[in-house]
Amino acid sequence: MPIELTDIARLAQILERSGVDTIEIEEPGQSLKLVVDTGPRMAVSPTLAVPADDHSVVAKADVAGHFLAAHPWRDKPLVAQGQCIEAGAIVGLVKIGLLYAPIVAPAAGTVDAVIAEPGATIGYGTPVVRIRTLS
Amino acid sequence: MTTTDRPRISLLGTSALLFEAPGAFDLPHQRRIWALAATASKWPGIREAIPGITNMMLTFETPPRELDALIAALNDGWDAADSLAIGGREIRLPVTYGGEIGSSLQSVADHCGLSVDDVVSIHAAPLYTVFALGSHPGYCYLGGMDPRITMPRRQTPLQRSAGGSVSIGGSQTGISASPGPSGWHAIGHTSWTFFDPSWPTPAALAPGDTIRFEIERVIR
Amino acid sequence: MIEILSVTGPASVQDLGRFDQYRFGVGTSGAMDDVALRAGNILVGNDENAAGIEIPMLPFKLRFGRGMAFALTGADVEAEIAGRVIPPWWRSHARAGDILTIKAMPRGARLYLTVGGGIDVPMVLGSRSTQFRGEFGGWRGRPLQPGDILPCAVSTSTIGELGVEPAEITLARPNTGADETIVRVVIAGEYDGFDAATQALFWSSSWKITPQSNRYGYRLQGPAVKPKAPIEKRSHGIVPGVIQIPPNGQPIIQMRDAQTSGGYPKIATVIGADLWRVGQARLGSRLRFEQTAYADALAAEAEMSVYLDRLRTNVRLVEESRTCR
Repeated sequence: MPIELTDIARLAQILERSGVDTIEIEEPGQSLKLVVDTGPRMAVSPTLAVPADDHSVVAKADVAGHFLAAHPWRDKPLVAQGQCIEAGAIVGLVKIGLLYAPIVAPAAGTVDAVIAEPGATIGYGTPVVRIRTLS
Repeated sequence: MTTTDRPRISLLGTSALLFEAPGAFDLPHQRRIWALAATASKWPGIREAIPGITNMMLTFETPPRELDALIAALNDGWDAADSLAIGGREIRLPVTYGGEIGSSLQSVADHCGLSVDDVVSIHAAPLYTVFALGSHPGYCYLGGMDPRITMPRRQTPLQRSAGGSVSIGGSQTGISASPGPSGWHAIGHTSWTFFDPSWPTPAALAPGDTIRFEIERVIR
Repeated sequence: MIEILSVTGPASVQDLGRFDQYRFGVGTSGAMDDVALRAGNILVGNDENAAGIEIPMLPFKLRFGRGMAFALTGADVEAEIAGRVIPPWWRSHARAGDILTIKAMPRGARLYLTVGGGIDVPMVLGSRSTQFRGEFGGWRGRPLQPGDILPCAVSTSTIGELGVEPAEITLARPNTGADETIVRVVIAGEYDGFDAATQALFWSSSWKITPQSNRYGYRLQGPAVKPKAPIEKRSHGIVPGVIQIPPNGQPIIQMRDAQTSGGYPKIATVIGADLWRVGQARLGSRLRFEQTAYADALAAEAEMSVYLDRLRTNVRLVEESRTCR
C-alpha cells in the first residue's frame, strides 16, 4: 500500500509532539525518512547575536516542497530584510506540484532574515523567515 | 459524378464539422438538409445538427477519434435524405414599412428603380420560408424574396440596428430578433417577439415555418 | 452575496458556456479563458462549471456580504483584500464586509473571480453565462454595474490561503517570444482557396491584435491574406476559434460572443486547448498561428484534461494534509 501524503503529515505531527527527530519506514518498493527540523529552536538560540530582550518569531513552512522567495511572475521577493510586515503576511511560497502554499508571518514585525535558500527543498516546520517582533 | 456534385465536408477545429450540400440555394435542397439534420442529430457523440443555408453544422459532444466513419455516414445520409417537407406553421406578421426604423425604404426603392409602394408590395407578396436559424438568438434566415428588390449589403455595418427590423441584405430578407450591429438595409419593423429564453422552445420560429408580411402601415 | 462597488469595462458573469443552443441562434458565451475559470473553481472547491466574474478592465472593486472563500485567476493582478496583498492565481478568504480592490493587470487580458459555491444567478438555457446580444443569462443579461448585488451559493469548502502556478507557466509553449502568443490551429474549409504563397504568409506573419478585439472577436492586423478568387459562402454555422478572412484580408478570430453563423471564407480554427491563450492575449500584442493536425489537436485536449486532473488531485492532497493537523 503506497504511503499517502496525509500519512506523512500525520507522522510528522506525531514526531514533533513526541520529541523524536527522525523516523525511517521501509516497505517493499518504497522507503520514507522523516526528519523533524529543529530550526525554530535554533533560530532563537543564544549563539545568534540578538539582544536578550529581543523577541523573534520564525515563519515556518507547513507543507513540504520547494521554497520560492518570489512569485514566478514577480521580480521582487515577497519580503526583504528590514521590511515591516503585518501578522499573517505572506513571506514566502512552498511549491508543491502545481500549487503554491503560503508561508505566513506568525506575528507583526520587521524581517530580520530570510533563512531558507530559494529553490531549496523544505519540509514541515522548516524555518523560512525570521521576524523581529515589535515589542 | 464530378467532385462539385459531392458535398463538401470540413472541420471547424475539434468541436464541430461543416457539411455543405452541392447544388442550388432553393427549398428542395433545404428540405434535404432538414432531413439530414434530423437524422444526424440522433447519432452518438453529436450534440446538435444545425441547419444553415443548404449546409449543416454538427457540434460534437465528444470529438470523434476517426473522422472517416462520420464523413461516410454524412455522404450516405445526404444521398439517402428524402426531402423533409416540414409542415410548419404559417405566421402572419404585421409590418410597419418605412419610418425611423425602416429608414432605408426610400434608398432601396431608389436603388431598384421602383416606387416605395412597389417595394412594399413586392416585399409583402411572397410566402417566405424559414430556412434556418442562426446569427443571434431567434434570428431567421428566410427564403423566397423577389429578386427585384435585391440590394447589396452595406460597405460598413451599422453599429446598432433596432430589434424587430425587417431588412434586405443582398437577395435575402430577414427580421432581427434583438438590437445589434447589422450590414443590412432596414425597410420596416415589427413588434413581434422572436425569442424568449423562458419559453419551452426559446425561438418562436423553426425551420419550415412560413411567414407572410402584412402591411400594417407605410410611413413615407 | 457580493456587491459591486466600482467596475471598468464590460465585466460579466460567466461559466464555461452554453453549448447546445446553436439551433436557436444562441452562441456559447462563457469564459474567454476557460482554464483560468476551471482553476479558480477547483481552488474554491466548486464544480468547474460554476459561474465566476470575468473582469477585462481595471480598476474593479467589490464588497463581500458574508465570509467566503474566493480566488483570482487568469491575468496577473495587483489586488488587495482588506488591505492585504493577494498574489496572482490565489485563493483567499474574505470576512463579511471585506473590500476587494483590484488595481492593475500587469500581464494577461482577463481576470476571473470565483467564490466558494459560485455566483448563484439563475441557469438560463443550461448555463449561467451572460448572453449579451440576447440580453439573458448572467446578471440580468448585461455587464455588471456599481450597486449590483450578486447572490452566491453556500459552500462548505476549506478556506486556507493557497496559490496555483499560473497555467501560462505550467502549459508554456515552446518558442513563445515576449509579447507574442503562439496558438495551434486546424485548417478550415477554405484553406485551399488561398495560394501557397498566401498560405505561407498566414503562417509566417506575426499578427497584431487591434483595439477592435473583444469577446465577439479578435480583429488582427498584418499583411493582406486574400483568396485566389473572392469566396462568397452561404450562411453556415461557426464556432469560437474560427478564423475568418473578410474581403480586406485581415483575419478575424471568432470568440465566445460571436454570431453563430457567418459567410466569410475560413482559413483555420484555433484548437480548443489553445483558445484560452487568445483570451489572455492583450490588445496591441501579437499572435502567430501554428498548423496542427486534427489528431494532434485531440491529443492537446487530452493533455489539458490530464493537467486539470492533476490540479484537482494536488489541491485535494494539500487540503487533506493541512486538515489532518
